[in-house]
Amino acid sequence: MASSLDELKTAIRKALPGLDVVIAWTAGPDALSHAPLFITEEADVARIEWDPRCSQNLAGYLPGLRGKKAGIVAKGCDVRSIVELLQEKLIDREDVVIFGLDCQGAVDARSARAALGSSRGVRDVAIDGASVCFSVNGEPRFFSPGEVLQSKCFGCAGADAGLCDHFAGERGLPPQFGNPPESTLERLEAMDMEERLRFWETQMSRCIRCYACRSACPLCVCQDHCAAQSREPHWVDQTDHPREKLMFQAIHALHTAGRCTECGECERACPMGLPVMTLKRALNRRIKDVFDYQAGIDPNQTPPLFEFREVETNIKEREW
Amino acid sequence: MSVTEGKELRIIGFLCNWCSYAGADTAGVGRFAQPTDLRIVRLPCTGRINPLFIVRAFMNGADGVLVSGCHPRDCHYSEGNFYARRRLETLKALLPVIGVDPGRFEYTWVSASEGQRWRSVVASFTEQVHALGSMPRFMSGTSLDLCLRPAVQPRVF
Amino acid sequence: MVMPTARYIAHDKLMPWLLGLAEGRRVLAPVREGGKTLFLPLREDSRLDLRGLADDSAKAALLPRCEPLLEFHYAKTAGVPSRTTLEVREILPGQETFLFGVRPCDARGFTVFDRVYDAGTRRDIYYCSRRDKTLVAAIACADPAETCFCNRVGGDPGGSDGADLLFTPVEGGFTVEAVTERGGAFLREQALEEADGKAEEAREVREAVRRAMPEGPSLDGAPDEVLRLFDDGAFWESVAAKCLSCGVCSYLCPTCYCFNMTDESNGNDGVRVRTWDNCMSFQFTLEGSGHNPRNGKAQRMRNRIGHKFSYYPKLHDGNLACVGCGRCIANCPASMDVRAIVIQARSRVLDKEEYANE
Repeated sequence: MASSLDELKTAIRKALPGLDVVIAWTAGPDALSHAPLFITEEADVARIEWDPRCSQNLAGYLPGLRGKKAGIVAKGCDVRSIVELLQEKLIDREDVVIFGLDCQGAVDARSARAALGSSRGVRDVAIDGASVCFSVNGEPRFFSPGEVLQSKCFGCAGADAGLCDHFAGERGLPPQFGNPPESTLERLEAMDMEERLRFWETQMSRCIRCYACRSACPLCVCQDHCAAQSREPHWVDQTDHPREKLMFQAIHALHTAGRCTECGECERACPMGLPVMTLKRALNRRIKDVFDYQAGIDPNQTPPLFEFREVETNIKEREW
Repeated sequence: MSVTEGKELRIIGFLCNWCSYAGADTAGVGRFAQPTDLRIVRLPCTGRINPLFIVRAFMNGADGVLVSGCHPRDCHYSEGNFYARRRLETLKALLPVIGVDPGRFEYTWVSASEGQRWRSVVASFTEQVHALGSMPRFMSGTSLDLCLRPAVQPRVF
Repeated sequence: MVMPTARYIAHDKLMPWLLGLAEGRRVLAPVREGGKTLFLPLREDSRLDLRGLADDSAKAALLPRCEPLLEFHYAKTAGVPSRTTLEVREILPGQETFLFGVRPCDARGFTVFDRVYDAGTRRDIYYCSRRDKTLVAAIACADPAETCFCNRVGGDPGGSDGADLLFTPVEGGFTVEAVTERGGAFLREQALEEADGKAEEAREVREAVRRAMPEGPSLDGAPDEVLRLFDDGAFWESVAAKCLSCGVCSYLCPTCYCFNMTDESNGNDGVRVRTWDNCMSFQFTLEGSGHNPRNGKAQRMRNRIGHKFSYYPKLHDGNLACVGCGRCIANCPASMDVRAIVIQARSRVLDKEEYANE
């Protein structure tokens, strides 16, 4: 990845004079996750980092920068969010320069911290085939991808090279990590209806209503005007009831139905470790089956809930 | 009718003004006997239905929700029910994940003249919901509530 | 009052002792739940986790996420359907609580609350009633995390400010020392063995951690610098660029005490609740007219930093509204670092001064 980083820096240096800002990653306060870096001067380019700790999807910053010429460094999954933003005309293609990268997988800082015991002494992270290696105080420590990577990496479709204006590293198929760890959706499917309700009741009682899931979501474009904080209409009340907090998750899932690219930002941002992407996954699976659609693939497609067919071939209506 | 014997359940019907609400009226004018569990909310069009109405209804204590509108191609606003069909099909994937049995929610089309059809839709849906019984409720609080009292439940009737 | 001597409790005796206490009162302690360590009511099957700083702060013990203040009911007048009378029932907190396992930073966070909620004539009865009924038992840190910086905001990893009892990890268990008179009275009633020589070991443990904490530039003494940057929009725009405007930092913060009050009602019944509020949210300063004096995240960030490092210390004898627990840093989805912002503010002011001098 070192060579990709050099290529990336060169490409950004070259493009920077024509851009107002380039968003990339740099070393953050925590050794297990890199932080966003807003580059406006060439001197900042030297601070760019690129390794599996670049987990945050930076696409969410783009709608806020509309009207400016913005460059963005993106993994394959991040590109899908950009495609979705383009589809919905929330950003303008001519104002965005995409620097694609050859991602080998992104670290889930929370699981990595649990696996390592602490983030102290972590200097470097590399993914080599079937194992993830953390260099801790000079000693390599190896983990399996299922232990320390984000779950989305298991279904990685690779970078959409077609949409990148620049690409650093080697184009090729993404790594295959084998079977993903059991998802919350699979666990839920083994339960009866009441157990599912109780599952969410327990989970949501941990929610502190910080709305980081929404704030981190690149497709939650209402942001400051979110239905969850509106008093009129009063979709959710302010009590600490798990029901109200689950209602908000339903709002988030339905507002991103047919749009969510499963970038995983909602779960990554949650300080309580709640499996909040589960509802979105369930909707996406249905949308794939019924409308044969996946979000963030083709910028010229229309999201399925923005259109209709008079005859829906995959919908089987009930006879009464 | 068997379904009206015993305890009534709470079933919410979201009906479009132009077809199904008139269809329900036709059933009433025709004096067709129907179960009385259903409470109707009249809306201009099924396209006006935010799927979250249905989620909120279940969270607030509904045992079943029925949506009914104009038949496809008959929408008063031309295409509201086409959008609704896609939204409601998508919603069907969400409900079971949060613990709402798929049988508690249905959508269908009933025209203004179909009083008889309305009667049979209501009867069979009510029967279906009764077979599932009342919807499990969220408990009023959990061990995690640090409040003196668990959050009050102002929304449940 | 003479404080009781230090006591000692072995690791294997701790849980039974806490469960014994839980019989007469609520015991809140850091326990594992859903992959997180959170302050929850202790039960027999709880997995106590005292390895480090808990994931949430313990502030909910004194300032719950949501607390009902009163209930109301509109009663129909018999015979006159148009007339209703309003019935209001006040709800006051009343539960005795033993709050175990907070760290010195969390306990010190309560002193930040005390200055606001228990300030002479302005006493918040809900807060004060909880504070009076809560005994705070802190554990001195043995292994501060990478994001810890209590020593840079006037705190101490072995400190006892805001606590009634101080536990210190020693070989085989903990020593227990009384900090306040209430803590002393409580400790005297407990059948715990004398610490004897272990008290000295505890002192050494605390001293060793104090020395081992990485040094860094102090973050107090910045109130004027932060205030002088009030109108420096470009500075706040740049530090807030990556902020997502969520509430992680405020809600995990042991010193953030802002709240919102709303009436949640249905039909004729309702409840007035007080809930945590978050200054990073657009709604925090949104006025009824639709005008918002803190329209952008830069202004909101300025308020957050200003409140903690300038406005609060100016009102409260230089005490910062930050205790250095580092939860906001460890949990920020955009990897913001409050320490870096204060340092940047200071150097920005210095740069400006140099420029002016030239």
